[in-house]
Amino acid sequence: MGSPCEVLLETDSESSAAAVAGSVSTEAWRIEDKFSRYLPDNIVHRINNSGGAPVEVDDETANLIDFAATLYEMSDGRFDITSGVLREAWNFDGSDNVPADSEVDRILERVGWSRVKWNRPELILAAGMQIDLGGIAKEYAVDKAASEAAAETDDACLVNFGGDLVATKAPTRSKGWQVGIDALDQAQGLPQKLIRLQNGGLATSGDARRFLLKDGIRYGHILDPTTGWPVQNAPRSITVAADTCTQAGMLATLAMLEGKGAETFLADQDCKYWCYR
Amino acid sequence: MYETDKEIPMSRKNSKSVAATLTTATCALLGTTSTTPVNAQEEDEWELDTALLYYNEDGNRVQDISFKMLANRNFVDDRVLSLSLGVDSLTGATPIGAIPFAGPQTFTSPSGNQVRTTPPGEIPLDPSFLDTRVALTANWQQPLGRLSSFNAGLSASSEYDYLHLGANFKLSRDFNKRNTTVSMGLAFAADELDPVGGAPMPLTPMLDVDDLSNRMGNQNKDVMDVVLGVSQIINQNLIMQFNYSFSSSDGYLNDPYKIVSLVDPVTGDPVPRIPSPGVDGPSHEYRFESRPGERTKHSLFGQAKYYMNGKVLDASYRYMTDDWDIDSHTVDVRFRWPIGDRSYLEPHFRYYTQTHANFYRTSLDSSLPLPSYASADYRLGEFDAITLGLKYGWKTESGNEWSARLEAYSADGSVPANLLIGSNQGGLEMYPDLDAIIAQFSYSFGW
Repeated sequence: MGSPCEVLLETDSESSAAAVAGSVSTEAWRIEDKFSRYLPDNIVHRINNSGGAPVEVDDETANLIDFAATLYEMSDGRFDITSGVLREAWNFDGSDNVPADSEVDRILERVGWSRVKWNRPELILAAGMQIDLGGIAKEYAVDKAASEAAAETDDACLVNFGGDLVATKAPTRSKGWQVGIDALDQAQGLPQKLIRLQNGGLATSGDARRFLLKDGIRYGHILDPTTGWPVQNAPRSITVAADTCTQAGMLATLAMLEGKGAETFLADQDCKYWCYR
Repeated sequence: MYETDKEIPMSRKNSKSVAATLTTATCALLGTTSTTPVNAQEEDEWELDTALLYYNEDGNRVQDISFKMLANRNFVDDRVLSLSLGVDSLTGATPIGAIPFAGPQTFTSPSGNQVRTTPPGEIPLDPSFLDTRVALTANWQQPLGRLSSFNAGLSASSEYDYLHLGANFKLSRDFNKRNTTVSMGLAFAADELDPVGGAPMPLTPMLDVDDLSNRMGNQNKDVMDVVLGVSQIINQNLIMQFNYSFSSSDGYLNDPYKIVSLVDPVTGDPVPRIPSPGVDGPSHEYRFESRPGERTKHSLFGQAKYYMNGKVLDASYRYMTDDWDIDSHTVDVRFRWPIGDRSYLEPHFRYYTQTHANFYRTSLDSSLPLPSYASADYRLGEFDAITLGLKYGWKTESGNEWSARLEAYSADGSVPANLLIGSNQGGLEMYPDLDAIIAQFSYSFGW
């Protein structure tokens, strides 16, 4: 998952704790192994190296791709699992290394879900294009792992994969799980806000440390695949609470893509959110 | 006819429909049909504890209605600001120290401008006891590095004849993987007394109405407290706490409204006195009390909290000794018994016993020279007290907590035979026993 993962459980039973930890980590590793674009021989690797040949995918992968297709439509093409190749031009390392228009345009020719032929369960991806399910898989893994945990125990449980999390229910000995939203100023190291989560999902989009700075213009790391350029005026961090971690994560990502309209978008969704600029 | 709207691509202008579409898509992805609605709130910034307390002593003695509020502001990095307000409204009567007697006794009031008479056989009380007290405290707690914390506070309280100002500091540090916490606290208080009619000079007689010749101006009292504490987690069910505290007071430590009867060495009856012609005044000889100008206390305190399957046993013991020769022992036991997930019952038992101060005298032999120190204040006498109580608490859905507490307090004193003088004191109630009830409602909530 590329980040620290933890499961917190309120229990007096060591064996129950071990069983829950076991099922959560098994599920996390299963999803990581299956969908990480960094690992060889998984379904994502096969699609990305299919050279334009059709690939038949299993049900779970098909469900994720269907979900991505829905998000693509909902976002007018700005949530796009084929946008990962833009990273060839953009490396948000804090430098002033902003790519040339021509370079971005050249890569954009290999971006666009509309160019993909998806006829469940068969996917045809043009040679040179890539898909990356990383924008969905972590939140998906949190929800799946939390339901594994809930199947294992009735005790209150919190599954947290790098800040995207789900609480199955409130601990009996407190009013809820206390979750801190990180401060924008990382040097301070203190949470910006404390949230009490009794049940449901919480996910954060945004990373204030990943940006480029050139000629006084700050380029945040959220890329708009319709232009190939970073979304302008995107908030630095958005945290959303929703019934599931997947919904929370997607709402946070979609709001980021709205740029300066992020707050308006979030307010329209009737969800609890914390947006920092 | 136009095409149905499903042909129209969803756009940002329709962003309100995003959440609904996303819910459907997520259910399909996760293979679920319904989910529990999310429940997340920002943590309350303030925690407020409020309490209304009613205290009533039997026999029309003291009655107190008090309101207390404590507000804690928790900052994200473990800094805590605590503010408290207390308002007490006291009415009723309190024993003044004079012994009961077969005949009526007349006293000059503390203000010195009137007299009142106690009927035969009754313990003399001061019925003009009426006061409103307002107390404020402010405390700041702050971590010092990863293992230590620092606490500093100020306190002030005011009533019509008393002003208290105080400051306190505390340092604590965790050791032993945070299983042990060692703390050191220091507190200073500077109090000023401005008694009605002026503070009487110790051991001077109670005088006729309007004679304030033995009254002094404002008096001061300083108190310093030091507390050294260790708390230790023994295992996941048991935590223990040990404190040693030292307290040193100096200044005017008398109760300006307390007197001692001067008695006949043979009968033990109060020595009669005749007021000056044409003025009202005391019917007998009374002396204002006199306490030493210093007091040093040492106390040891131990507490254990034992958690067993939701139930909590909280037991503590305190031993106190001071250089007035008062030794006291306090045992306090509470047992919290949960009823369901949301409520609990908590019985409370407290036993207290103390020896009398070395200058405690129920009366003074008029044939002997006056001692340097003498007080008949029942609080300095020998007594045992038992408190029995029951508390019921319950939590609301949102996590706020109500509680109701009812307690009965009974103090039973005894006067050692060697303090009785003459033939008539044996049959009298020389020690004013005390029975009281306490009722309290509390509500704690976040804000």
